[in-house]
Amino acid sequence: MAKVKALTQEWMDAYKAAIVADPDYKQIAKDWEGSVALVCNADPDKGVPETIYLFQDYWHGDVGEFVVCDKAKAESAKFVMTGDYSRWKQVALKELDATKALLQGKLKMKGDLPYVVRNIKTVNKVIDILGKFDTQWPDDPA
Amino acid sequence: MGGIGFAGKFLHVDLTKASCSDFTLDDATMKKFMGGSCLAAKIFLDRYPVDLDPLAPESPFMIMTGPMVGSGFPGTSRFSICAKSPQTGIWGESACGGNFGPELKRAGYDGIVIDGRAASPVYLSLTDDHVQILEASHLWGKDIYETTDILKEKDTSLKVLTIGQAGENKVLIAAVGNDKGHFSGRTGLGAVMGAKNLKAVVARGSGKLGKADEDGYKQAFRDAIQEVKDSALADGLHQMGSDANMDLGMVTGDVPIKNWTVGEAFDLSSSLSGPTMKEKYLTKAHACANCPVACKRVVKVDEGPFRTQEGPGPEYETCGTFGTMMMNPDLAAVIKANELCNMYGMDTISCGSAIAMAMELYEKGILSKTDVDGIDLTWGNMDAVMVLIRKIAFREGFGDVLAEGSVKAARKIGKDAIDTVVAVKGLEAPMHDPRGFHGMGLAYMMSNRGACHLQHAVLATEQGMASWPELFDMKDDYVGTTSVGKAALVYNSENYGILGNSLSICHYLVDILKPETILAAFNAITGWNLSSQDLLKAGMRDWTLKRGFNNLLGITVKDDKLPKKLLTALEEGGGAGSVPDVELLLKEYYALRGLDERGYPKKEMLVELGLDELKDRLYT
Repeated sequence: MAKVKALTQEWMDAYKAAIVADPDYKQIAKDWEGSVALVCNADPDKGVPETIYLFQDYWHGDVGEFVVCDKAKAESAKFVMTGDYSRWKQVALKELDATKALLQGKLKMKGDLPYVVRNIKTVNKVIDILGKFDTQWPDDPA
Repeated sequence: MGGIGFAGKFLHVDLTKASCSDFTLDDATMKKFMGGSCLAAKIFLDRYPVDLDPLAPESPFMIMTGPMVGSGFPGTSRFSICAKSPQTGIWGESACGGNFGPELKRAGYDGIVIDGRAASPVYLSLTDDHVQILEASHLWGKDIYETTDILKEKDTSLKVLTIGQAGENKVLIAAVGNDKGHFSGRTGLGAVMGAKNLKAVVARGSGKLGKADEDGYKQAFRDAIQEVKDSALADGLHQMGSDANMDLGMVTGDVPIKNWTVGEAFDLSSSLSGPTMKEKYLTKAHACANCPVACKRVVKVDEGPFRTQEGPGPEYETCGTFGTMMMNPDLAAVIKANELCNMYGMDTISCGSAIAMAMELYEKGILSKTDVDGIDLTWGNMDAVMVLIRKIAFREGFGDVLAEGSVKAARKIGKDAIDTVVAVKGLEAPMHDPRGFHGMGLAYMMSNRGACHLQHAVLATEQGMASWPELFDMKDDYVGTTSVGKAALVYNSENYGILGNSLSICHYLVDILKPETILAAFNAITGWNLSSQDLLKAGMRDWTLKRGFNNLLGITVKDDKLPKKLLTALEEGGGAGSVPDVELLLKEYYALRGLDERGYPKKEMLVELGLDELKDRLYT
């Protein structure tokens, strides 16, 4: 199966499909309400010329809109997670735990932190799935 | 050294003679041992024999601040209470936040060394260099909250340190409370105060402490405030208190459950978590002096069987010992147990752990209902727990057994009861499971006050709350359930983290702030112009000094071990199937720390750290 180019709409579609296909996700995420935006800061040296905004909608175990979007839509999300490209790649490749990245300031979050803490199993599940499909990263060798 | 960073003098009190005198330490000693518990260990070794009975009149009780205390820098409200521990029989120390430390320095003292025993109850009053030993019979028998209120009646600006009934009764897990909301709980030092007939110490001061470089300090202060604002850890602590760890720790395998026998219980963590406390019982957040984080909880239970007054809320550790450890899902009951321990003056880790142990022994039939005064010690029976807390504080019936702490209690009970205890060197482990985080297991084995999460920064580095690759070789992300590479992590995290207890700066701020910011503030306050490597060496000296103290008391390699339970794998949870590789951890750690096969610091290590006198005592 061909690798999916990271941080594209194709990648978002694959990510959504992987979440929907996961046998445990629906149960684990049954209490989660609200959208999440991932903001990947521009890093031209790594093949990310402009900041990328990704919008994901989650609701009680169902998955809604999953799109590459503009800044305004991203900022309308209930939770906005921002980080440098290399950090997101580390998280996706499971080289850096997302919670640790947040606590160390390598990722920033805008939103209700206690809500995230209370639903940490959902967060961990979604991130775990992120690493489960083959991805071509912008700075990977062609 | 007075005026710049330090008040410049210490107070010695002989309670037997009812006499007080000032003394000073030379600059070289101050620079080498800095303050807090490190300086206390130095004073103990220089002035007292180590083999004293901790509760004997001759044994010293010390209250020490550090060079940054009173500066106004975030996290520097702290002080350390130090003595030989009556619970463990080795080095004892317990740091505390609040406001007493800065007030003591403003009153003109960097620390207080108290020995002797008063003929009748007294309290010590320090108000701007005016020191008095005052009669305290009217306070004896009163709890910490009431005592604090009485002492503040005539002067609300007084900062109060006091024991409750547990300290008076020489309960070996007794704590010392500062202004009701802050506690030196670990190693039972409240009993040392009680043994001296010393009910309280109060301080008020108006002195000002100078700084060597005011402009440099202001820049470091601004940097620190910005780092706190940028920190998710600080935000989490402000919003949820230390109990933010309950939800996160349940996922990672950090939280002990049912006296360390169960690996996972999300129903418990959900009902006992920081977010739940915020939603149901929090009335406001509270801060130690000059702290922008404000992690302390103020809570109130309005209704039900566990109603409380508005007061200090439980830390994560207490939600563990009186919650998950007892299979109790009722956070209101945890808050009530916390209130009782605070009022009587007992360490909530040791007290909760001892009761959880008793519950397991009761389930196994090792303790009968008759043995425990007719109390039904079924898991989660919190009515029984409230009764037992009081019995421990007053040494009544079965409470008198648990008042000795878990290890001594288990030995008294016999019948393999000791196998249910999770303690190292006599001190019950805090609520962080080494089966989920092997580095913590090594840290427990090597902590100089017994199993501890606050003699180092291992909790922060191994669990990823902090990463300091600029300070020493470390990764951003460690796998908890491996022992490989953990000895170096623990060694370095000790050398840095232990400074929290000598500089007297809050461990959370050590985790939150950049090391260069803390160093810049430290140098601006003291003018010592130390490098980060100098600070790490000071941390090495601190650890080695206390290790030597314990070696003189007979501590050797045989004591550097984990209890049976922590070497028994759990079947579920984040630490499932995993136990620390003790042999690997100790082998690598001993080499890094410069310990010989007995567990003594090698001569060359002692010389390198400038601990020649200790070398002479260890190698005579």
